[in-house]
Amino acid sequence: MSDEQVPAPEFHPRIVAFLCNWCSYAGADLAGISRIQYPASIRVIRVPCSGRVDPFFVLKALQLGADGVLISGCHPGDCHYLTGNYVARRRFAVLNDLLQFFGIEPGRVMFSWVSAAEGERFAQVVRDATEQVKKLGPLNRLATSKTPFEDAMQTAECRVQKAK
Amino acid sequence: MQSAKGKVTTQEQIRARAKELLEQKLVTAVLGFREGSLPGTVVPTLVTKPEQSDSLVYDERCLHNLAAYLPRLKHKGKLAVIASGPTSRSIVNLIKENQVKRENLYIIGVAGPEFHHKDTKAPSVRNRSRGTPNPVLCDEMVGDKAAEPAEDDYADIAAFEKLSPEERWQELTEDLSRCIRCYACRQSCPNCYCPTCFVDSSQPQWVGRTTDDSDTIMFHIMRAMHMAGRCVECGACARACPMGIDLMRLNRKVALIVRDRFGHVSGMSLDTPLPLACFQTDDKQEFIR
Repeated sequence: MSDEQVPAPEFHPRIVAFLCNWCSYAGADLAGISRIQYPASIRVIRVPCSGRVDPFFVLKALQLGADGVLISGCHPGDCHYLTGNYVARRRFAVLNDLLQFFGIEPGRVMFSWVSAAEGERFAQVVRDATEQVKKLGPLNRLATSKTPFEDAMQTAECRVQKAK
Repeated sequence: MQSAKGKVTTQEQIRARAKELLEQKLVTAVLGFREGSLPGTVVPTLVTKPEQSDSLVYDERCLHNLAAYLPRLKHKGKLAVIASGPTSRSIVNLIKENQVKRENLYIIGVAGPEFHHKDTKAPSVRNRSRGTPNPVLCDEMVGDKAAEPAEDDYADIAAFEKLSPEERWQELTEDLSRCIRCYACRQSCPNCYCPTCFVDSSQPQWVGRTTDDSDTIMFHIMRAMHMAGRCVECGACARACPMGIDLMRLNRKVALIVRDRFGHVSGMSLDTPLPLACFQTDDKQEFIR
């Protein structure tokens, strides 16, 4: 090795996924028991219904270090609570448009419908989401300024990388 | 203002009607405006005695949205309230959201205060809704109706959206980073009647209490979200803001989203359901995969 340069470590996005208990969570489960491979980029939070997802959840996730947010629920018409995802859809529409107005890149916050029978589709949604956020890079908007502790950790990590 | 041609001014008519309503005990109080303690200012006032009704004023300074006081005056019994266009739209929303009862209100409709200016015909008032100068809901109309303006084209929002995402983020964060988190916008807003506001909640603490840009922007995004389908663009928040932040840009954008997506204009009718509390099975979902 002639040059001293350390290649930038590959960016692995952290995506917080809000999955509805009745469809998308079961879909993720099916992907798991079917041994379908998908990137380990998502951190799943199970919610009773996509209607449970407050815009606050999304913003808080982004603020505290998520690079992307994925929200997934039952297909319209299939909601366990009959109309939860219809109402959620209106709320998401406003949130989506407002975030874009603010200049948050489209694709940072993603919405999808995945049923309990769509294991392969769930894997594909996660693959696409990961790819999309990877392209956008780490979130630099909305995130809270780092604490001294985090800064120190990052410096330490860089040193370890260099030593290798 | 002047009753030069022997014509009774709107202010005089309001005083006379307030006196009658109180004397006949049709209402327990009249919510209106009086001269403030500082010269040139007006403050909202609650008139409870007929002889006090001469303290009521109505002119171009009376821009406050009086509907903001109604939820906290619920226990007062039947109230008369002076309402121009945006105030009446806020009242419609409060009735729909079960915050006030229609039968507990006597709405005295007036044309917007900007049409009661001494000098010019219809001066533009900062951050004032251009949509509805006349009340959409009232028990009686006092004074002349103002000419209905052309429909709002939201040209200011369209112009801002022509900027790139980076430029928009830059401009909005620069504007919002001046926020000192005094919550004057919330206090002046008729939509903000929650007993515990999300910014005051400490468990969970949704928004950090610092003026860190991240916290401030989050507060303003959430405030705008809460205005979706409810804001009547009265401009009270923007006029209350001590830092002069362009809050109406966010409010108007959200109103535009709701109008374009769900065909709903806030506070125009008692019969239409609140747009975020209902749905259509064929709502557009091009952003969902």
